[in-house]
Amino acid sequence: MRRKAVLLGLLLGIGLSQMGPFRARFEAALHSGGHEFAQVMLAQDKGQALCSQYRDKLPPDLIPGFLAEQKALIKYPANGKLMGDWRNGEKVFTDPKRGNCYACHAGVPEEVAYGTMGPSLTAYGQRGTAEPVVRYTYEKIYNAWAFVPCSLMYRGGVHGLFTPEETADLVAFLLDPESPINRR
Amino acid sequence: MGRKRRWILLGVVALGTWAGFGAYTQQQKPLDPFEEAMRQRQMYLETFGVLPGELFVEEGKELFFRKGPSGKTLEECDFGKGKGVLEGVYAILPKYFPDTKRVEDLETRVYTCMQTVQGFKPSEIKRDEVKAITTYIASFSSKARIQVVPKHPAELAMYNLGRELWYTRAGARDMSCAVCHDQYAGQRVRLSPVRSPKQGLGNEWPAYRFEEDKLYTMQDRIDFCYESIAIPKPEFYSEVHIALTVYMLAEATKAGRSFEELPFFTR
Ligand code: HEC
Ligand code: HEC
Repeated sequence: MRRKAVLLGLLLGIGLSQMGPFRARFEAALHSGGHEFAQVMLAQDKGQALCSQYRDKLPPDLIPGFLAEQKALIKYPANGKLMGDWRNGEKVFTDPKRGNCYACHAGVPEEVAYGTMGPSLTAYGQRGTAEPVVRYTYEKIYNAWAFVPCSLMYRGGVHGLFTPEETADLVAFLLDPESPINRR
Repeated sequence: MGRKRRWILLGVVALGTWAGFGAYTQQQKPLDPFEEAMRQRQMYLETFGVLPGELFVEEGKELFFRKGPSGKTLEECDFGKGKGVLEGVYAILPKYFPDTKRVEDLETRVYTCMQTVQGFKPSEIKRDEVKAITTYIASFSSKARIQVVPKHPAELAMYNLGRELWYTRAGARDMSCAVCHDQYAGQRVRLSPVRSPKQGLGNEWPAYRFEEDKLYTMQDRIDFCYESIAIPKPEFYSEVHIALTVYMLAEATKAGRSFEELPFFTR
C-alpha cells in the first residue's frame, strides 16, 4: 500500500518535471509546421489545455474550479454599464474580425447567411432587460466558457476580439427592444 | 502550351464565376451550396467543354513527364505501389516509405521525389507545380474507396499525432478541428455545411473551388481552416498536414467512404 503511494508520487513527480515522450514527439510535429504555427499552438492557456486533454468533456470534479477561473477572467466597462449602443453592437456582431456571430447564430431575420451551430438569437430580447439577464448576457458573450466549459463558442472578450465596451454594445444589440434582432 | 491555355481559360471563367457567386450570396433564400456547385459545374461544361480541374490534370501530366536535372522523370518515383504505378495510389496515402523512413502524403511524396529522383533543389520547386502533379496523380484514384489503414509503427504514430492535433484547442478563437467537425457535424458555419471524418471529410480534394477560382489540395484545405480559426497556417509538407490527413482519412476508411470524382469541383 505504502509502496504504491510512493510509486505514484514518483510517477507524478516525473510527469511534472519532464515531458512525456508523446508530448515531446507532438511538440516536434508542431515545430515542423514552422515557427509561427508552433508558437500559437504552444501558447495554449490553462483552459484550452484542459479542454484539449479531456476532449472537451471535463471530469465533473474539475468543473467548479474551471468555471470559477473563467469567471475571474471577465472584465467590465469602466463606466459599469453592461448595456451599450445596439447600433455599434450590430457592427461588432457582423464584423468577421471581431464578433463574427453570424458564423454560428441567426440574428436579424433578414440575414439569411447565418450558421446553425449555436442557438438562434432572433428575438433574444424577449427575456427582458432585468439586471440578471443583462449580466448573464454580458458575461456569456465576454467569456462563454464561464457557463459552458469547452463550448464551441469562443471567449471573444478574454482574447480581446472586442473590448468590454463593445461587449456591452453586443448586449444591447441582443436585448434592446429597438434592435432589429427584436423587431417584428 | 497547356499552361498558357489554362490561364486564358481560367481568366474567362473567373468572370462567369463572379456573376454566379453574386447570385449565390444575394438571393433571398440561401441556395444549397452543393446544388449551386453542381449548377456551376454544368455551366463550365456547357460554356467551355472542359472543367478547370482537367486543365490542372493536363498541366500535371506534362510536369510528370518532364525531365529533372538528373535526367529522370517522375516515372522513376515510387508513389506507394511501386515505380511508375499511379492507379489507386492516392487512395492508400499517406503511408510509410522505406526510402525516406517517414510517412508521406501525396503532395509531400511529389516534393520528395522531385528532389531525390529528379535532382531539383527545394528552392527550384514551385508550389503550383507540386499541386498540378498531385492533381494528375490523384485523378487515377477518382471515386476510389479510401484505404488508409495505419499499420507500420510510423503510421500508427502519425495517426496518434493527428488525433492529438485534431483535438487541440488553440488561438484567439479557441477552436479545434474536433469541435466543429465532430460535435457540430451536420450543422452550418454561415451557409457551409460541416462534415465529420466518418461522413467522408476530406474526400473531395484536390478540387477546383469556383468561389476562389483556385485549385486546392488537402494541405491547402487544412490551411484554409487553420487560417479561418486565427491559427497561422503550418508550412507545406509538414508533419501537421500529414498527421491530420492520416487521422481524417483513416476515420473515413473505417466508415467505408470513397473519394469523389477527382479533381472535384466545389464551392
Ligand atoms: C463558433 C460558433 C459560435 C460563435 C462564432 C458564436 N457563438 Fe454564441 N453560442 C454558440 C453555441 C454552440 C452556443 C450554445 C452553447 C453555449 O452556451 O456555449 C452559444 C450560445 C450563445 C448565447 C447563449 C444563448 C442562451 O440562450 O443562453 C449567447 C447570448 C451567444 N451565444 C451570443 C453570441 C454572440 C454575441 C456572438 C458573437 C460575439 C457569438 N455568440 C458567437 C456558438 C457560437
Ligand atoms: C469553426 C469551425 C471549423 C473548424 C474549427 C475547422 N473547420 Fe474545417 N471546415 C469548416 C467549414 C465551415 C468548412 C467548409 C465546408 C464546405 O463548405 O464544404 C470546412 C471544411 C473543411 C475541409 C474540407 C471539406 C470536406 O468536406 O472535405 C477539411 C478537410 C477540413 N475542414 C479540415 C479541418 C481541419 C483539419 C481542422 C482543424 C485544423 C478544421 N477543419 C477546423 C469549419 C471548421
